[in-house]
Amino acid sequence: MTQTLSQWLTDPSPSSRAQARIGQAWLAWLRLRRNHLAMLGLAIIVLLCAMAAFAPLFATHDPFTQNLGQRLLPPGTPGHWLGTDDFGRDIWSRIVYGARITLYIIALVAVTAPVIGLAIGTVAGYFGGIVDTVLMRITDIFLAFPRLILALALVAVLGPGIVNAVLAIALTAWPPYARVARAETLTVRNSDYIAAVRLQGAGAGRIIWGHVMPMCLPSVIIRVTLDMAGVILIAAGLGFLGLGVQPPLPEWGLMISSGRKFLFEQWWVATMPGLAIFLVSLGFNLLGDGLRDVLDPRSASR
Amino acid sequence: MRDVIESDFIEIDNLSVTFEAKGRRVHAVQNVSLSVGAKQSFGLVGESGSGKSTILRAICGLAPVSGGAIRIAGEPVNTRNAKAFASRVQMVFQDPYASLHPRHTIDRTLSEPLAIHGIKGTDARVVRALEDVGLPASFRFRYPHQLSGGQRQRVAIARALMLEPEILLLDEPTSALDASVQAEVLNLLNRLRAEHGLTFLMVSHDLAVIDHMCDRILVMQHGRAVEELAREDLASARMKTEYARNLFAASADRMLGATSKD
Repeated sequence: MTQTLSQWLTDPSPSSRAQARIGQAWLAWLRLRRNHLAMLGLAIIVLLCAMAAFAPLFATHDPFTQNLGQRLLPPGTPGHWLGTDDFGRDIWSRIVYGARITLYIIALVAVTAPVIGLAIGTVAGYFGGIVDTVLMRITDIFLAFPRLILALALVAVLGPGIVNAVLAIALTAWPPYARVARAETLTVRNSDYIAAVRLQGAGAGRIIWGHVMPMCLPSVIIRVTLDMAGVILIAAGLGFLGLGVQPPLPEWGLMISSGRKFLFEQWWVATMPGLAIFLVSLGFNLLGDGLRDVLDPRSASR
Repeated sequence: MRDVIESDFIEIDNLSVTFEAKGRRVHAVQNVSLSVGAKQSFGLVGESGSGKSTILRAICGLAPVSGGAIRIAGEPVNTRNAKAFASRVQMVFQDPYASLHPRHTIDRTLSEPLAIHGIKGTDARVVRALEDVGLPASFRFRYPHQLSGGQRQRVAIARALMLEPEILLLDEPTSALDASVQAEVLNLLNRLRAEHGLTFLMVSHDLAVIDHMCDRILVMQHGRAVEELAREDLASARMKTEYARNLFAASADRMLGATSKD
Protein backbone atom coordinates (compact mmCIF):
# COMPACT_ATOMS: atom_id res chain seq x y z
CA MET A 1 0.00 0.00 0.00
CA THR A 2 1.61 3.22 -1.14
CA GLN A 3 -1.28 5.44 -0.19
CA THR A 4 -2.90 6.00 3.17
CA LEU A 5 -6.54 5.32 3.89
CA SER A 6 -7.52 8.99 3.92
CA GLN A 7 -5.90 9.50 0.52
CA TRP A 8 -7.88 6.56 -0.79
CA LEU A 9 -11.08 8.03 0.66
CA THR A 10 -10.58 11.52 -0.76
CA ASP A 11 -9.20 10.41 -4.12
CA PRO A 12 -10.77 12.75 -6.72
CA SER A 13 -10.71 9.96 -9.33
CA PRO A 14 -12.03 6.85 -7.63
CA SER A 15 -11.31 3.60 -9.39
CA SER A 16 -14.43 1.66 -8.50
CA ARG A 17 -18.10 2.14 -7.72
CA ALA A 18 -17.54 1.22 -4.08
CA GLN A 19 -14.68 3.68 -3.65
CA ALA A 20 -16.78 6.50 -5.13
CA ARG A 21 -19.65 5.74 -2.78
CA ILE A 22 -17.48 5.32 0.32
CA GLY A 23 -15.58 8.49 -0.59
CA GLN A 24 -18.82 10.48 -0.73
CA ALA A 25 -19.91 9.02 2.61
CA TRP A 26 -16.54 9.96 4.08
CA LEU A 27 -16.92 13.58 2.93
CA ALA A 28 -20.41 13.69 4.44
CA TRP A 29 -18.98 12.33 7.70
CA LEU A 30 -16.29 15.04 7.71
CA ARG A 31 -18.99 17.68 7.27
CA LEU A 32 -21.08 16.13 10.05
CA ARG A 33 -18.05 15.98 12.36
CA ARG A 34 -17.68 19.76 12.24
CA ASN A 35 -21.10 20.09 13.88
CA HIS A 36 -20.45 19.56 17.62
CA LEU A 37 -24.09 19.33 18.65
CA ALA A 38 -24.76 16.67 16.04
CA MET A 39 -21.76 14.72 17.35
CA LEU A 40 -23.19 14.98 20.87
CA GLY A 41 -26.48 13.61 19.56
CA LEU A 42 -24.65 10.80 17.78
CA ALA A 43 -22.72 10.00 20.98
CA ILE A 44 -25.99 9.69 22.92
CA ILE A 45 -27.41 7.33 20.30
CA VAL A 46 -24.24 5.25 20.11
CA LEU A 47 -24.31 5.00 23.91
CA LEU A 48 -27.95 3.88 23.77
CA CYS A 49 -27.04 1.20 21.23
CA ALA A 50 -24.08 0.04 23.33
CA MET A 51 -26.29 -0.06 26.42
CA ALA A 52 -28.85 -2.16 24.61
CA ALA A 53 -26.27 -4.52 23.14
CA PHE A 54 -24.33 -5.04 26.37
CA ALA A 55 -27.17 -4.61 28.86
CA PRO A 56 -25.95 -7.38 31.21
CA LEU A 57 -22.60 -5.58 31.57
CA PHE A 58 -24.11 -2.17 32.32
CA ALA A 59 -26.87 -3.36 34.62
CA THR A 60 -26.06 -3.91 38.29
CA HIS A 61 -29.09 -6.04 39.06
CA ASP A 62 -31.59 -8.32 37.38
CA PRO A 63 -34.33 -6.01 36.05
CA PHE A 64 -37.07 -8.52 36.96
CA THR A 65 -36.03 -9.70 40.44
CA GLN A 66 -38.34 -8.25 43.06
CA ASN A 67 -37.10 -7.46 46.52
CA LEU A 68 -39.91 -6.09 48.64
CA GLY A 69 -37.56 -5.39 51.54
CA GLN A 70 -35.79 -2.76 49.46
CA ARG A 71 -38.75 -1.06 47.80
CA LEU A 72 -38.75 2.65 46.96
CA LEU A 73 -35.17 3.34 48.02
CA PRO A 74 -34.16 6.92 47.11
CA PRO A 75 -31.42 7.69 44.56
CA GLY A 76 -27.92 7.64 45.99
CA THR A 77 -28.45 4.51 48.04
CA PRO A 78 -25.28 2.40 47.76
CA GLY A 79 -25.92 -0.42 45.28
CA HIS A 80 -29.00 1.33 43.86
CA TRP A 81 -27.63 4.68 42.60
CA LEU A 82 -30.88 5.64 40.87
CA GLY A 83 -33.08 4.13 43.58
CA THR A 84 -35.57 1.29 43.42
CA ASP A 85 -39.22 1.09 42.37
CA ASP A 86 -42.28 -0.14 44.23
CA PHE A 87 -41.25 -3.80 43.83
CA GLY A 88 -37.68 -3.15 44.95
CA ARG A 89 -36.26 -3.50 41.42
CA ASP A 90 -33.17 -1.47 40.59
CA ILE A 91 -34.24 1.47 38.39
CA TRP A 92 -30.84 1.81 36.64
CA SER A 93 -30.89 -1.83 35.58
CA ARG A 94 -34.45 -1.49 34.33
CA ILE A 95 -33.53 1.60 32.30
CA VAL A 96 -30.58 -0.25 30.78
CA TYR A 97 -32.71 -3.22 29.76
CA GLY A 98 -35.46 -0.82 28.67
CA ALA A 99 -33.03 0.62 26.09
CA ARG A 100 -33.39 -2.68 24.22
CA ILE A 101 -37.15 -2.31 23.95
CA THR A 102 -36.89 1.35 22.98
CA LEU A 103 -34.32 0.57 20.31
CA TYR A 104 -36.40 -2.34 19.03
CA ILE A 105 -39.44 -0.08 18.63
CA ILE A 106 -37.41 2.68 16.97
CA ALA A 107 -35.78 0.26 14.56
CA LEU A 108 -39.07 -1.36 13.56
CA VAL A 109 -40.79 1.99 13.03
CA ALA A 110 -37.79 3.35 11.13
CA VAL A 111 -37.87 0.49 8.61
CA THR A 112 -41.62 0.54 8.06
CA ALA A 113 -43.15 4.04 8.17
CA PRO A 114 -40.61 5.87 5.95
CA VAL A 115 -40.70 3.06 3.39
CA ILE A 116 -44.49 3.21 3.11
CA GLY A 117 -44.40 7.01 3.01
CA LEU A 118 -41.63 7.14 0.42
CA ALA A 119 -43.39 4.68 -1.88
CA ILE A 120 -46.74 6.45 -1.70
CA GLY A 121 -45.24 9.94 -1.96
CA THR A 122 -43.01 9.25 -4.97
CA VAL A 123 -45.70 7.33 -6.86
CA ALA A 124 -48.24 10.10 -6.23
CA GLY A 125 -45.79 12.83 -7.20
CA TYR A 126 -44.45 11.08 -10.29
CA PHE A 127 -47.74 10.08 -11.88
CA GLY A 128 -49.77 13.09 -10.80
CA GLY A 129 -53.40 13.39 -11.88
CA ILE A 130 -55.92 10.94 -10.47
CA VAL A 131 -53.27 8.73 -8.80
CA ASP A 132 -51.92 11.77 -6.96
CA THR A 133 -55.38 12.89 -5.89
CA VAL A 134 -56.43 9.51 -4.54
CA LEU A 135 -53.18 8.78 -2.68
CA MET A 136 -52.91 12.26 -1.22
CA ARG A 137 -56.52 12.29 0.02
CA ILE A 138 -55.84 8.99 1.80
CA THR A 139 -52.76 10.63 3.30
CA ASP A 140 -54.86 13.62 4.37
CA ILE A 141 -57.36 11.32 6.11
CA PHE A 142 -54.55 9.71 8.12
CA LEU A 143 -53.05 13.12 8.89
CA ALA A 144 -56.39 14.47 10.09
CA PHE A 145 -56.47 12.01 13.02
CA PRO A 146 -54.47 12.85 16.11
CA ARG A 147 -51.64 10.32 16.01
CA LEU A 148 -51.95 8.99 19.55
CA ILE A 149 -55.73 8.56 19.24
CA LEU A 150 -55.38 6.59 16.00
CA ALA A 151 -52.61 4.48 17.51
CA LEU A 152 -54.85 3.86 20.54
CA ALA A 153 -57.71 2.75 18.29
CA LEU A 154 -55.46 0.36 16.39
CA VAL A 155 -54.01 -1.12 19.57
CA ALA A 156 -57.51 -1.47 20.98
CA VAL A 157 -58.47 -3.51 17.90
CA LEU A 158 -55.28 -5.54 17.61
CA GLY A 159 -54.69 -6.01 21.34
CA PRO A 160 -51.84 -4.62 23.43
CA GLY A 161 -48.28 -5.78 22.86
CA ILE A 162 -44.98 -4.54 21.54
CA VAL A 163 -45.46 -5.57 17.90
CA ASN A 164 -48.97 -4.17 17.73
CA ALA A 165 -47.75 -0.92 19.26
CA VAL A 166 -45.07 -0.66 16.58
CA LEU A 167 -47.63 -1.43 13.88
CA ALA A 168 -49.93 1.26 15.23
CA ILE A 169 -47.12 3.81 15.35
CA ALA A 170 -45.93 2.94 11.84
CA LEU A 171 -49.45 3.21 10.42
CA THR A 172 -49.87 6.65 11.93
CA ALA A 173 -46.37 7.92 11.19
CA TRP A 174 -46.14 7.47 7.40
CA PRO A 175 -48.25 10.41 6.11
CA PRO A 176 -45.64 13.14 6.80
CA TYR A 177 -43.04 11.09 4.89
CA ALA A 178 -45.43 10.75 1.98
CA ARG A 179 -45.90 14.52 1.96
CA VAL A 180 -42.15 15.18 2.05
CA ALA A 181 -41.42 12.60 -0.65
CA ARG A 182 -44.19 13.93 -2.90
CA ALA A 183 -42.99 17.53 -2.59
CA GLU A 184 -39.45 16.44 -3.42
CA THR A 185 -40.69 14.34 -6.35
CA LEU A 186 -42.58 17.28 -7.82
CA THR A 187 -39.39 19.33 -7.92
CA VAL A 188 -37.35 16.65 -9.73
CA ARG A 189 -40.05 15.13 -11.95
CA ASN A 190 -39.73 17.70 -14.74
CA SER A 191 -35.97 18.02 -14.60
CA ASP A 192 -33.82 17.29 -17.62
CA TYR A 193 -32.15 14.25 -16.09
CA ILE A 194 -35.52 12.55 -15.62
CA ALA A 195 -36.50 13.48 -19.21
CA ALA A 196 -33.16 12.03 -20.32
CA VAL A 197 -33.74 8.58 -18.76
CA ARG A 198 -37.29 8.61 -20.07
CA LEU A 199 -35.90 9.24 -23.56
CA GLN A 200 -33.63 6.24 -23.05
CA GLY A 201 -36.72 4.11 -22.72
CA ALA A 202 -36.84 3.67 -18.95
CA GLY A 203 -40.14 2.61 -17.42
CA ALA A 204 -41.92 4.34 -14.56
CA GLY A 205 -40.72 1.78 -12.01
CA ARG A 206 -37.07 2.22 -12.88
CA ILE A 207 -37.35 6.01 -12.92
CA ILE A 208 -39.10 6.17 -9.54
CA TRP A 209 -36.81 3.63 -7.86
CA GLY A 210 -33.48 4.58 -9.40
CA HIS A 211 -33.80 8.27 -10.16
CA VAL A 212 -36.54 9.90 -8.08
CA MET A 213 -36.11 8.08 -4.77
CA PRO A 214 -32.40 8.92 -4.33
CA MET A 215 -33.38 12.59 -4.51
CA CYS A 216 -36.13 12.18 -1.89
CA LEU A 217 -34.10 10.03 0.48
CA PRO A 218 -32.09 12.76 2.25
CA SER A 219 -35.13 14.79 3.30
CA VAL A 220 -36.89 11.63 4.43
CA ILE A 221 -33.86 10.49 6.47
CA ILE A 222 -33.68 13.90 8.15
CA ARG A 223 -37.38 13.73 8.88
CA VAL A 224 -36.98 10.21 10.35
CA THR A 225 -34.27 11.24 12.82
CA LEU A 226 -36.28 14.29 13.84
CA ASP A 227 -39.39 12.13 14.27
CA MET A 228 -37.65 9.46 16.33
CA ALA A 229 -38.12 11.58 19.45
CA GLY A 230 -41.85 11.63 18.74
CA VAL A 231 -41.89 7.87 18.14
CA ILE A 232 -40.21 7.22 21.50
CA LEU A 233 -42.75 9.49 23.18
CA ILE A 234 -45.71 7.80 21.50
CA ALA A 235 -44.36 4.36 22.38
CA ALA A 236 -43.90 5.61 25.94
CA GLY A 237 -47.40 7.11 25.83
CA LEU A 238 -48.91 3.79 24.74
CA GLY A 239 -46.91 2.07 27.47
CA PHE A 240 -48.08 4.68 29.97
CA LEU A 241 -51.71 4.02 29.03
CA GLY A 242 -51.12 0.28 29.36
CA LEU A 243 -51.70 -0.39 25.66
CA GLY A 244 -48.12 -0.91 24.53
CA VAL A 245 -45.54 -3.05 26.18
CA GLN A 246 -46.94 -5.14 29.00
CA PRO A 247 -45.53 -5.44 32.57
CA PRO A 248 -43.17 -6.66 33.87
CA LEU A 249 -41.08 -5.68 30.80
CA PRO A 250 -38.97 -2.62 31.64
CA GLU A 251 -40.30 -0.22 29.03
CA TRP A 252 -39.62 3.41 29.87
CA GLY A 253 -43.18 4.69 29.40
CA LEU A 254 -44.51 1.81 31.45
CA MET A 255 -42.03 2.64 34.22
CA ILE A 256 -43.25 6.25 34.31
CA SER A 257 -46.79 4.97 34.46
CA SER A 258 -46.06 2.77 37.47
CA GLY A 259 -44.28 5.65 39.22
CA ARG A 260 -47.29 7.91 38.80
CA LYS A 261 -48.93 6.52 41.94
CA PHE A 262 -46.25 7.89 44.25
CA LEU A 263 -45.05 10.82 42.19
CA PHE A 264 -45.14 13.22 45.15
CA GLU A 265 -43.39 11.11 47.78
CA GLN A 266 -41.05 8.96 45.67
CA TRP A 267 -40.44 11.26 42.64
CA TRP A 268 -37.48 9.28 41.31
CA VAL A 269 -39.51 6.25 40.22
CA ALA A 270 -41.13 8.26 37.39
CA THR A 271 -38.39 10.84 36.92
CA MET A 272 -35.47 8.54 36.07
CA PRO A 273 -37.06 6.82 33.03
CA GLY A 274 -38.43 10.25 32.07
CA LEU A 275 -34.87 11.58 32.02
CA ALA A 276 -33.83 8.64 29.84
CA ILE A 277 -36.59 9.41 27.33
CA PHE A 278 -35.61 13.07 27.38
CA LEU A 279 -31.93 12.32 26.74
CA VAL A 280 -32.53 9.92 23.87
CA SER A 281 -35.09 12.23 22.23
CA LEU A 282 -32.61 15.08 22.52
CA GLY A 283 -29.91 12.91 20.96
CA PHE A 284 -32.05 12.10 17.92
CA ASN A 285 -33.09 15.73 17.51
CA LEU A 286 -29.52 17.00 17.60
CA LEU A 287 -28.40 14.35 15.12
CA GLY A 288 -31.33 15.15 12.83
CA ASP A 289 -30.45 18.82 12.82
CA GLY A 290 -26.84 18.02 11.94
CA LEU A 291 -27.89 15.58 9.20
CA ARG A 292 -30.05 18.27 7.67
CA ASP A 293 -26.97 20.41 7.17
CA VAL A 294 -25.07 17.52 5.61
CA LEU A 295 -27.71 15.78 3.51
CA ASP A 296 -30.04 18.53 2.40
CA PRO A 297 -29.68 18.68 -1.39
CA ARG A 298 -30.18 22.44 -1.32
CA SER A 299 -27.18 23.03 0.90
CA ALA A 300 -24.94 20.43 -0.78
CA SER A 301 -22.65 21.56 -3.58
CA ARG A 302 -23.99 20.76 -7.00
CA MET B 1 -18.84 18.03 -50.64
CA ARG B 2 -21.48 16.06 -48.84
CA ASP B 3 -23.20 13.19 -50.57
CA VAL B 4 -26.47 13.86 -52.29
CA ILE B 5 -29.48 13.41 -50.01
CA GLU B 6 -30.73 9.89 -50.76
CA SER B 7 -34.06 10.20 -49.03
CA ASP B 8 -35.87 12.31 -46.51
CA PHE B 9 -34.76 10.67 -43.30
CA ILE B 10 -36.62 12.92 -40.90
CA GLU B 11 -39.80 14.36 -42.35
CA ILE B 12 -41.99 16.85 -40.56
CA ASP B 13 -45.23 17.75 -42.33
CA ASN B 14 -47.31 20.73 -41.26
CA LEU B 15 -46.50 20.18 -37.60
CA SER B 16 -48.53 22.18 -35.10
CA VAL B 17 -48.04 22.12 -31.33
CA THR B 18 -50.65 23.70 -29.11
CA PHE B 19 -50.31 23.98 -25.35
CA GLU B 20 -53.44 24.36 -23.33
CA ALA B 21 -53.20 25.92 -19.90
CA LYS B 22 -56.18 27.09 -17.89
CA GLY B 23 -58.40 27.42 -20.95
CA ARG B 24 -55.83 29.47 -22.86
CA ARG B 25 -54.40 27.97 -26.01
CA VAL B 26 -50.85 28.77 -26.99
CA HIS B 27 -49.83 27.89 -30.53
CA ALA B 28 -46.14 27.21 -30.01
CA VAL B 29 -45.57 25.77 -33.48
CA GLN B 30 -47.83 26.34 -36.49
CA ASN B 31 -47.68 24.38 -39.74
CA VAL B 32 -43.95 23.90 -39.87
CA SER B 33 -42.59 21.48 -42.45
CA LEU B 34 -39.02 20.39 -42.89
CA SER B 35 -37.07 17.40 -44.07
CA VAL B 36 -33.60 16.25 -43.19
CA GLY B 37 -31.61 13.82 -45.24
CA ALA B 38 -29.75 10.92 -43.66
CA LYS B 39 -26.40 11.91 -42.14
CA GLN B 40 -27.21 15.55 -42.72
CA SER B 41 -27.02 18.28 -40.14
CA PHE B 42 -30.02 20.54 -39.96
CA GLY B 43 -30.28 23.72 -37.92
CA LEU B 44 -33.29 25.49 -36.45
CA VAL B 45 -32.63 29.15 -35.69
CA GLY B 46 -34.79 31.80 -34.12
CA GLU B 47 -35.16 34.04 -31.14
CA SER B 48 -36.38 32.59 -27.86
CA GLY B 49 -40.04 31.62 -27.95
CA SER B 50 -39.98 30.96 -31.68
CA GLY B 51 -40.88 27.31 -31.14
CA LYS B 52 -37.62 25.74 -32.23
CA SER B 53 -37.04 23.70 -29.06
CA THR B 54 -40.70 22.71 -29.05
CA ILE B 55 -40.18 20.93 -32.39
CA LEU B 56 -37.45 18.79 -30.82
CA ARG B 57 -39.64 18.03 -27.82
CA ALA B 58 -42.54 17.16 -30.15
CA ILE B 59 -40.35 14.62 -31.94
CA CYS B 60 -39.61 12.99 -28.57
CA GLY B 61 -43.24 13.01 -27.55
CA LEU B 62 -42.60 15.56 -24.80
CA ALA B 63 -44.88 18.21 -26.35
CA PRO B 64 -48.55 17.88 -27.38
CA VAL B 65 -48.77 17.59 -31.17
CA SER B 66 -52.07 19.06 -32.40
CA GLY B 67 -51.63 18.54 -36.11
CA GLY B 68 -49.34 17.30 -38.83
CA ALA B 69 -47.06 14.29 -38.92
CA ILE B 70 -43.50 13.35 -37.98
CA ARG B 71 -41.87 10.50 -39.87
CA ILE B 72 -38.48 8.93 -39.44
CA ALA B 73 -37.22 6.84 -42.36
CA GLY B 74 -40.73 6.85 -43.76
CA GLU B 75 -42.43 5.54 -40.61
CA PRO B 76 -44.52 7.72 -38.31
CA VAL B 77 -42.75 8.07 -34.97
CA ASN B 78 -44.13 6.02 -32.16
CA THR B 79 -42.91 7.31 -28.81
CA ARG B 80 -45.21 4.83 -27.07
CA ASN B 81 -42.67 2.15 -27.87
CA ALA B 82 -40.10 3.98 -25.78
CA LYS B 83 -37.26 1.46 -26.14
CA ALA B 84 -37.38 1.18 -29.92
CA PHE B 85 -37.59 4.95 -30.22
CA ALA B 86 -34.72 5.42 -27.77
CA SER B 87 -32.33 3.33 -29.83
CA ARG B 88 -33.02 5.48 -32.92
CA VAL B 89 -33.31 8.99 -31.50
CA GLN B 90 -31.47 10.57 -28.59
CA MET B 91 -31.31 14.10 -27.31
CA VAL B 92 -28.65 16.33 -25.77
CA PHE B 93 -30.10 18.95 -23.48
CA GLN B 94 -29.25 22.58 -23.15
CA ASP B 95 -28.09 22.79 -19.55
CA PRO B 96 -25.42 20.24 -18.58
CA TYR B 97 -25.89 21.27 -14.95
CA ALA B 98 -29.49 20.00 -15.00
CA SER B 99 -29.29 17.04 -17.36
CA LEU B 100 -27.07 14.73 -15.26
CA HIS B 101 -28.45 13.07 -12.15
CA PRO B 102 -26.61 14.76 -9.24
CA ARG B 103 -26.45 11.58 -7.15
CA HIS B 104 -25.31 9.17 -9.85
CA THR B 105 -21.69 8.68 -10.82
CA ILE B 106 -20.72 9.16 -14.45
CA ASP B 107 -20.45 5.37 -14.61
CA ARG B 108 -24.05 4.94 -13.47
CA THR B 109 -25.30 7.64 -15.85
CA LEU B 110 -23.61 5.98 -18.81
CA SER B 111 -24.48 2.39 -17.95
CA GLU B 112 -28.16 3.14 -17.25
CA PRO B 113 -29.21 3.08 -20.94
CA LEU B 114 -27.37 -0.24 -21.35
CA ALA B 115 -29.19 -1.67 -18.34
CA ILE B 116 -32.57 -0.49 -19.66
CA HIS B 117 -31.98 -2.18 -23.01
CA GLY B 118 -30.29 -5.25 -21.52
CA ILE B 119 -27.07 -4.69 -23.47
CA LYS B 120 -24.07 -6.70 -22.26
CA GLY B 121 -20.47 -5.61 -21.90
CA THR B 122 -21.17 -2.53 -19.79
CA ASP B 123 -17.60 -1.94 -18.57
CA ALA B 124 -15.98 -1.93 -21.99
CA ARG B 125 -18.71 0.21 -23.49
CA VAL B 126 -18.57 2.84 -20.75
CA VAL B 127 -14.78 3.13 -21.05
CA ARG B 128 -15.05 3.39 -24.83
CA ALA B 129 -17.77 6.03 -24.59
CA LEU B 130 -15.62 8.19 -22.29
CA GLU B 131 -12.71 7.84 -24.69
CA ASP B 132 -14.97 8.78 -27.58
CA VAL B 133 -15.89 12.14 -26.08
CA GLY B 134 -12.34 12.86 -24.96
CA LEU B 135 -12.67 12.32 -21.22
CA PRO B 136 -10.01 10.39 -19.27
CA ALA B 137 -11.05 7.01 -17.90
CA SER B 138 -10.27 8.26 -14.39
CA PHE B 139 -13.46 10.37 -14.56
CA ARG B 140 -15.59 7.26 -14.67
CA PHE B 141 -16.53 7.12 -11.01
CA ARG B 142 -16.79 10.84 -10.39
CA TYR B 143 -20.00 12.63 -9.59
CA PRO B 144 -21.29 15.44 -11.84
CA HIS B 145 -20.41 18.10 -9.25
CA GLN B 146 -16.75 17.11 -9.66
CA LEU B 147 -16.82 18.07 -13.36
CA SER B 148 -16.84 21.39 -15.20
CA GLY B 149 -19.68 22.45 -17.48
CA GLY B 150 -17.89 21.40 -20.64
CA GLN B 151 -16.97 18.01 -19.16
CA ARG B 152 -20.56 17.48 -18.09
CA GLN B 153 -21.81 18.24 -21.57
CA ARG B 154 -19.33 15.68 -22.90
CA VAL B 155 -20.81 13.12 -20.51
CA ALA B 156 -24.31 14.05 -21.69
CA ILE B 157 -23.20 13.54 -25.30
CA ALA B 158 -21.61 10.20 -24.38
CA ARG B 159 -24.86 9.16 -22.72
CA ALA B 160 -26.85 10.07 -25.84
CA LEU B 161 -24.50 7.91 -27.94
CA MET B 162 -24.58 4.85 -25.62
CA LEU B 163 -27.47 3.30 -27.54
CA GLU B 164 -25.84 4.05 -30.90
CA PRO B 165 -28.76 6.09 -32.24
CA GLU B 166 -29.06 7.30 -35.83
CA ILE B 167 -30.44 10.70 -34.93
CA LEU B 168 -29.18 13.16 -32.35
CA LEU B 169 -31.42 16.04 -31.34
CA LEU B 170 -29.34 18.91 -29.99
CA ASP B 171 -31.16 21.52 -27.95
CA GLU B 172 -28.75 24.47 -27.77
CA PRO B 173 -26.00 22.13 -26.61
CA THR B 174 -23.44 24.87 -26.06
CA SER B 175 -25.41 27.92 -24.96
CA ALA B 176 -24.65 27.23 -21.27
CA LEU B 177 -20.90 26.99 -21.90
CA ASP B 178 -18.32 29.72 -22.29
CA ALA B 179 -16.86 30.54 -25.69
CA SER B 180 -13.67 28.45 -25.68
CA VAL B 181 -15.42 25.35 -24.32
CA GLN B 182 -18.22 25.94 -26.82
CA ALA B 183 -15.84 25.52 -29.74
CA GLU B 184 -14.39 22.33 -28.27
CA VAL B 185 -17.82 20.77 -27.81
CA LEU B 186 -18.95 21.79 -31.31
CA ASN B 187 -15.82 20.28 -32.83
CA LEU B 188 -16.41 17.12 -30.80
CA LEU B 189 -19.98 16.93 -32.12
CA ASN B 190 -18.77 17.38 -35.71
CA ARG B 191 -16.18 14.65 -35.26
CA LEU B 192 -18.69 12.24 -33.71
CA ARG B 193 -21.16 12.91 -36.52
CA ALA B 194 -18.55 11.94 -39.08
CA GLU B 195 -17.41 8.87 -37.11
CA HIS B 196 -20.83 7.50 -36.23
CA GLY B 197 -22.71 8.65 -39.33
CA LEU B 198 -25.23 10.59 -37.29
CA THR B 199 -28.05 12.80 -38.41
CA PHE B 200 -28.21 16.04 -36.45
CA LEU B 201 -31.22 18.21 -35.81
CA MET B 202 -29.86 21.17 -33.92
CA VAL B 203 -31.53 24.13 -32.29
CA SER B 204 -29.74 27.36 -31.57
CA HIS B 205 -30.35 31.07 -31.37
CA ASP B 206 -26.76 31.64 -32.38
CA LEU B 207 -26.20 31.77 -36.13
CA ALA B 208 -22.45 31.47 -35.64
CA VAL B 209 -22.93 28.06 -34.01
CA ILE B 210 -25.39 26.95 -36.66
CA ASP B 211 -23.08 28.13 -39.42
CA HIS B 212 -20.26 26.05 -37.94
CA MET B 213 -22.41 22.93 -37.65
CA CYS B 214 -25.23 22.74 -40.17
CA ASP B 215 -25.71 22.07 -43.87
CA ARG B 216 -29.22 23.44 -43.98
CA ILE B 217 -31.00 25.97 -41.80
CA LEU B 218 -34.60 26.82 -41.06
CA VAL B 219 -35.22 30.28 -39.63
CA MET B 220 -38.25 30.45 -37.36
CA GLN B 221 -40.23 33.28 -35.81
CA HIS B 222 -43.38 33.18 -33.64
CA GLY B 223 -43.85 29.44 -34.19
CA ARG B 224 -43.75 29.69 -38.00
CA ALA B 225 -41.09 28.85 -40.53
CA VAL B 226 -39.70 32.04 -42.06
CA GLU B 227 -37.08 30.86 -44.49
CA GLU B 228 -35.01 27.79 -45.32
CA LEU B 229 -31.40 28.36 -46.28
CA ALA B 230 -28.45 26.28 -47.37
CA ARG B 231 -25.10 26.98 -45.74
CA GLU B 232 -23.81 28.61 -48.94
CA ASP B 233 -26.72 31.07 -48.89
CA LEU B 234 -25.84 32.00 -45.34
CA ALA B 235 -22.16 32.47 -46.09
CA SER B 236 -22.88 34.81 -49.00
CA ALA B 237 -25.74 36.51 -47.12
CA ARG B 238 -28.38 35.56 -49.69
CA MET B 239 -31.46 35.79 -47.49
CA LYS B 240 -34.82 36.49 -49.01
CA THR B 241 -36.67 37.71 -45.93
CA GLU B 242 -36.09 40.77 -43.81
CA TYR B 243 -36.19 38.81 -40.53
CA ALA B 244 -33.48 36.35 -41.55
CA ARG B 245 -31.31 39.24 -42.71
CA ASN B 246 -31.69 41.00 -39.36
CA LEU B 247 -30.87 37.82 -37.49
CA PHE B 248 -27.81 37.38 -39.66
CA ALA B 249 -26.69 40.97 -39.15
CA ALA B 250 -26.94 40.54 -35.38
CA SER B 251 -24.40 37.71 -35.31
CA ALA B 252 -22.44 38.36 -38.52
CA ASP B 253 -19.48 40.00 -36.79
CA ARG B 254 -19.09 36.99 -34.48
CA MET B 255 -19.27 34.59 -37.41
CA LEU B 256 -16.58 36.47 -39.29
CA GLY B 257 -14.54 36.70 -36.09
CA ALA B 258 -14.80 32.96 -35.63
CA THR B 259 -13.70 32.21 -39.18
CA SER B 260 -10.76 34.59 -39.08
CA LYS B 261 -9.50 33.08 -35.81
CA ASP B 262 -9.79 29.54 -37.12
